[in-house]
Amino acid sequence: MGDLLIDVAREAFTPTTAAFALAAVGLNFHFGLTGLLNMGQAGFMLLGMYGYAITVREGGPIWLAIIVALVVAMVFGVILGWPTLKLRGDYLAIVTIAAAEMVRYLGRSQNFNSLTGASTGIRGNEFKGSFEALSPFPDRMVDVGPFALHGTRSTSWWLVVVGWALVAIFTLIFWRLSKSPWGRVLKGIREDEDAVRSLGKNVYSYKMQALVIGGAVGAVSGVIWALGASVQPDSMGRPTTFWVWTLLLLGGAATIFGPVLGSILFWCSLVLIKGLAAMWIPDTVLSQQQLQPFSLLLVGVTLMLLVIFRPQGVLGDKRELAFND
Amino acid sequence: MTDIDPFANVPHEPGAPKKDPIVIADHVQRRFGGLTAVDVDHFEVQRHAITALIGPNGAGKSTFFNLLTGFDKPQKGEWQFNGNSMKGVSPAKVARAGKVRTFQLTKALNRMTVIENMRLGAADQRGENIFAAFIPTLWRQREIDITERAHGLLHRFQLFEKKDDFAGSLSGGQRKLLEMARALMSEPEMVMLDEPMAGVNPALTESLLEHIVKLKNEGVSVLFVEHDMHMVRRISDWVVVMAEGRIIAEGPPDSVMLNPQVQEAYLGVHHDTDLSEESSS
Amino acid sequence: MKRSLDTRAKARALVVFLVAAVAVTWLLTAQQAAAATESADVGTVIATDITSQPMLTDATPITVGAVASEVDTPEQTAVSSSQSRVLQNVFNGFVFGLLLALASVGLSLIYGTTGLSNFAHGEQVSLGAMLAYFFTTDQPVSIPLTPWEFVIGWPLWLAALAAIAVAGGTGWVQDRFLWGKLRKRGVGMVQQMIVSIGLSLALLNFLQWWIGPDRLRLSKAIEVKHQFGPIQVGDITMMSIGIASIALVSVALFLQKTRLGRATRAVSDNPSLAAASGIQVNSIIRLVWIMAVSLAALGGILLALYDNGTKFDVGAKLLLLMFAAVTLGGLGQAYGALLGSLVIGVVVETSTLWLGPDLKYATALGILIIVLLVRPQGLLGRVERVG
Repeated sequence: MGDLLIDVAREAFTPTTAAFALAAVGLNFHFGLTGLLNMGQAGFMLLGMYGYAITVREGGPIWLAIIVALVVAMVFGVILGWPTLKLRGDYLAIVTIAAAEMVRYLGRSQNFNSLTGASTGIRGNEFKGSFEALSPFPDRMVDVGPFALHGTRSTSWWLVVVGWALVAIFTLIFWRLSKSPWGRVLKGIREDEDAVRSLGKNVYSYKMQALVIGGAVGAVSGVIWALGASVQPDSMGRPTTFWVWTLLLLGGAATIFGPVLGSILFWCSLVLIKGLAAMWIPDTVLSQQQLQPFSLLLVGVTLMLLVIFRPQGVLGDKRELAFND
Repeated sequence: MTDIDPFANVPHEPGAPKKDPIVIADHVQRRFGGLTAVDVDHFEVQRHAITALIGPNGAGKSTFFNLLTGFDKPQKGEWQFNGNSMKGVSPAKVARAGKVRTFQLTKALNRMTVIENMRLGAADQRGENIFAAFIPTLWRQREIDITERAHGLLHRFQLFEKKDDFAGSLSGGQRKLLEMARALMSEPEMVMLDEPMAGVNPALTESLLEHIVKLKNEGVSVLFVEHDMHMVRRISDWVVVMAEGRIIAEGPPDSVMLNPQVQEAYLGVHHDTDLSEESSS
Repeated sequence: MKRSLDTRAKARALVVFLVAAVAVTWLLTAQQAAAATESADVGTVIATDITSQPMLTDATPITVGAVASEVDTPEQTAVSSSQSRVLQNVFNGFVFGLLLALASVGLSLIYGTTGLSNFAHGEQVSLGAMLAYFFTTDQPVSIPLTPWEFVIGWPLWLAALAAIAVAGGTGWVQDRFLWGKLRKRGVGMVQQMIVSIGLSLALLNFLQWWIGPDRLRLSKAIEVKHQFGPIQVGDITMMSIGIASIALVSVALFLQKTRLGRATRAVSDNPSLAAASGIQVNSIIRLVWIMAVSLAALGGILLALYDNGTKFDVGAKLLLLMFAAVTLGGLGQAYGALLGSLVIGVVVETSTLWLGPDLKYATALGILIIVLLVRPQGLLGRVERVG
């Protein structure tokens, strides 16, 4: 049990948790602030990681790789938004899912093997080196209290520090922007576009800005995730987008700390449930192999219950409910 | 305010030219499939006055209203505001040009506070630009000015106590007042009201009427679409009647009400004949 | 709500599509030269990561008995298109479209009668296939969270009927305890859509938990192939075509000829008008849910036979194709779903001639995006205009 609690506590700050918190911050720009039903955040994440990894693999420096990741995601956002931002709610949801799936299909296609590595993707040793070289931590396992992580490789203390620093930065950016007059216009758009038009604001332009910014943040989250794992298109599919939605709604959409809290709660709960299930439910009833789908089943149920009974999540204000009925 | 009646010597006919028009529309046509909703040859709105746009159901008033605020585009024709062509202009640009509208189904932004609703109505807030938004010094002062103006308007509309409440918690009538107050934030030259009396309880009606007359006294031009004849008679300086997409009459309220064509349009041509199948036309 | 788009938006959509299509085609022809020399990665094992969604195999019934692999056979990457291959592909597409239609009709009717974009509809297809496997397999199976294993091993026809019955039951349960209650509470459509997303996640993982992640076969029978001119068909496929056609024709007859069916069409067309004319809208919706899930289950079973194998995520992979079919045909139009499915099926299969099998779904998605942008009411739907 003690080991399980350590695992749960560790999960609270792993790079995966940070990456998903970032992805949720991006989605918060889309849905929390502006009411855009972007069901394709995984597509932005995948493009970000492709942009970064391919640039580094081809010999580019890190700063260039980051720029490429951001630019690719922003261009995708513009292409996606240009014709679709005039669509209403569920239509936009379907188009964004389809677009993200297309990115995944193209990425995993044999035809692009030399560029993206097709379905195997891009292996860690092809793109992680330059980032790991920057690590100030020693190149071995490092113990901080009960937590043991490597200093520089893959899921490392270095990545933990960088990942959460980025979460802090983008959360701050979200906070500043949402409190600004710009954020106010977006909140108005979320309520009623025609009302905002009647007040002289170019609604389409603001929606596009939100889409692009949220997508860029999504791209950064993809880079962080890939630096702790690998670039693999099948790990950025529909379920990934749905998890981001779940943890954003769990924490509280349109709140400042909702994405962070949601991500931590989500991942810690997953580890906790898997651990408890492994401990308490006999192997004959629930085998090792079945633990993962079992706990994700609970994720699905949680999403349903959240949306029905507490759509404002943990931190949200019921009056400021992020859903517009 | 001048005592000279701006409508003296203006003929009481459809499309009559006005002394100082703020809106002029020419040959405007809007069709939906095979149905012609609006077919107006000429239309002028007098500045600094209250003009009413009335007509029976299906006359095309709302469509014409939407066309004149940029929320719809005509198949043919053009119109100008303050001498500037508004052909093909988006609704946001029309608003920025100085003509603001309200909505029949009040669009108070429910999940924002009253004061935030008001601040949103202001124009020229640099902080609404994404890059400037990061640098508060660029927009702090304007925000203070905007808030001051908002407070003033909220006092005037008796909503000041509610300024930090969510707009969704206001009563229907209060939300209507909020929408009107919000529309005034950008100091528009013209306010277009879409059925301002719709769904308003009698206690509020007087108050609303007073606010609208006050607008005129401050030099704002007003055009409203209405079904409520009481309101039309009480406060409008000029009445325009539409039926079946066309303007059929114009004039001061009393003369328009007595116009037989107008009566026919409202009551139907055969209002005093037997409408059984055998009756001849 | 505005559903018709102005010409400017349509023009933009077409420009984006043309530019994207040209770019992708150019990139592909450039890459195909490189890909032709790389034979090592063909037949890559797809990671068993929980989030992986491996491609549905190229569903030709040519393979006999063996589990269809996800290998890119050289023949299929060749760009040559002899006439008989084109005809075979068109035929295969038609068959796939028929089976897709079984799932899509329900999706369309649910949207028409309740306004819900049901993201869990893919799992209704998977559920049918999994239930059929559960009843027919001679491997031991169990109920989740119980330790007992048993073998049911019914003949396929019985297992299929049982599966469809149980599935229909879950459709009833869904409306009675979930969707009906949400409608009554006045929960918004966006919220309901997200609930369906959660349900989809839950069902997908439930099926994986219950039945397992492996590829399964419903029938060990070896298909006998027949040749009709240039087209080759297996007898199991012919039977599937027959069953699917009977089912679809029955649905059509129901909608056209029976009072209940006409009422269903009325509700699908205009729920408030139907309610005003005295139709019991809630009962109709309940019936629609039972029908939709049953048809989807049938579709899942027939697809498992046609594909010579199935998996817990078979429906999830088809979800977007179903949306493409339904949107193309016109959301809420049952016949539109059929028409759209046939078109999507043919497009998907014939695109393998020049795009290669791993991109065939991308074409369908491209169609979905275009339709939503250019003509969101689809082929058979009506345009709703601003009031």
